[in-house]
Amino acid sequence: MEAVILLQWTFDTFLGLGLLWLAWRALACPDLFRAIVLFVAFGLLLAMAWVSLDAPDVALAEAAIGAGLTGALLLAALARLRSSETNVEVAGQPEKKGLKVRNPQWLPVVVLLPVAAGLGYVVLSLPPDAVGLSAQVAANLETGGVSNPVTAVLLNFRGYDTLLEMVVLLLALLGVWSLGGAALRREDAPGLVLDTLSRLLAPVLILVAGYLLWVGAHAPGGAFQAGSVLGAAGVLLLLAGWRLHAGLAALPLRLALVAGSGIFLAMAVFTLLMEGQLLKYPPAQAGILILVLETAATVSIGVTLAALFLGGRPPNKQDHR
Amino acid sequence: MQILYLVLALFLLLNLGAGMWRVLRGPTAADRMLATQLFGTTAVAVLLLLAQAYGNPPLRDVALVFALLAAVTAVAFVRRAWPDQETGHDSE
Repeated sequence: MEAVILLQWTFDTFLGLGLLWLAWRALACPDLFRAIVLFVAFGLLLAMAWVSLDAPDVALAEAAIGAGLTGALLLAALARLRSSETNVEVAGQPEKKGLKVRNPQWLPVVVLLPVAAGLGYVVLSLPPDAVGLSAQVAANLETGGVSNPVTAVLLNFRGYDTLLEMVVLLLALLGVWSLGGAALRREDAPGLVLDTLSRLLAPVLILVAGYLLWVGAHAPGGAFQAGSVLGAAGVLLLLAGWRLHAGLAALPLRLALVAGSGIFLAMAVFTLLMEGQLLKYPPAQAGILILVLETAATVSIGVTLAALFLGGRPPNKQDHR
Repeated sequence: MQILYLVLALFLLLNLGAGMWRVLRGPTAADRMLATQLFGTTAVAVLLLLAQAYGNPPLRDVALVFALLAAVTAVAFVRRAWPDQETGHDSE
């Protein structure tokens, strides 16, 4: 048994050191592309760290968002940066220029020291043996409608947090769209490899999204993980040159985008009227209500992420007039 | 059996350190990107081993998501970041 503990210690030590080193390299690296590659590797190790901390739910979210979608988003952002700044082509030039105009180096330290002190104070003022709320969650789990405590907390006990997170995602997309007329990139026709890959992989991604949504009721999974896998399917199709039909880009797209927040809000109002408390489901129907909410949230998250990747409002019929 | 799984997981984790050399050295962008793809594959193997070692089947789902999404990152690289760098070494 001691050998197992020793092995775990060694594994965790290397993992922790690797994470710190990768984080430092990713921040210190002057080349943006290299920083992105390091960040993707960082996401992979971070997911493993969550596994080591026995938090498979967080590991799944980190795998889906941190290591998967963020890499694609950052690479697309980098490509757009490069196409808008032609002088980036000159190797080594931009960093030197950037250093000259940058604020004095002590300025961030002055700003960050109070933040670090405040965080340190908060951590030190925590009760030494925090009991947490897991006992309370476990005691109320049978009225929660699902057997996975994380899903029960996210969708039932603290449902309003998730509702607000859905709105945050929507606001992010509104922000991107309000930047306006970003020229939408025309993709080259996909080669045989990409064409075959997207035909094979997109259905599997959609299937896995459905699986994660369903399994969330009793095991790690749920709307955010499923939504980001669905979003990855959208990203893959967009990269392969697929574009939303102009007729669907107006109302149907917007309906899909707001479905999650909308149904969540409707549920909040309904439960407020019926039960007298925000998002307090009747225990008998809690399971099915959570599934409905999660399904709508998955669709909205997936469509929002894919739309964020596209990086501009898709043109619709009215634009063509 | 648990010890074997953990030893193998540790070995694969150390392998990531070797792969890190390629990420840092390059010299081309594709070298770096392929090294992270290799990281993804290794991470899938590590997660599957840990799932067995700890008897924690949900970790297989994490591995599944890794395996699926690594391909999306690779496609994003080829379609968006690759043509700029095709001709030579990235800014070294």
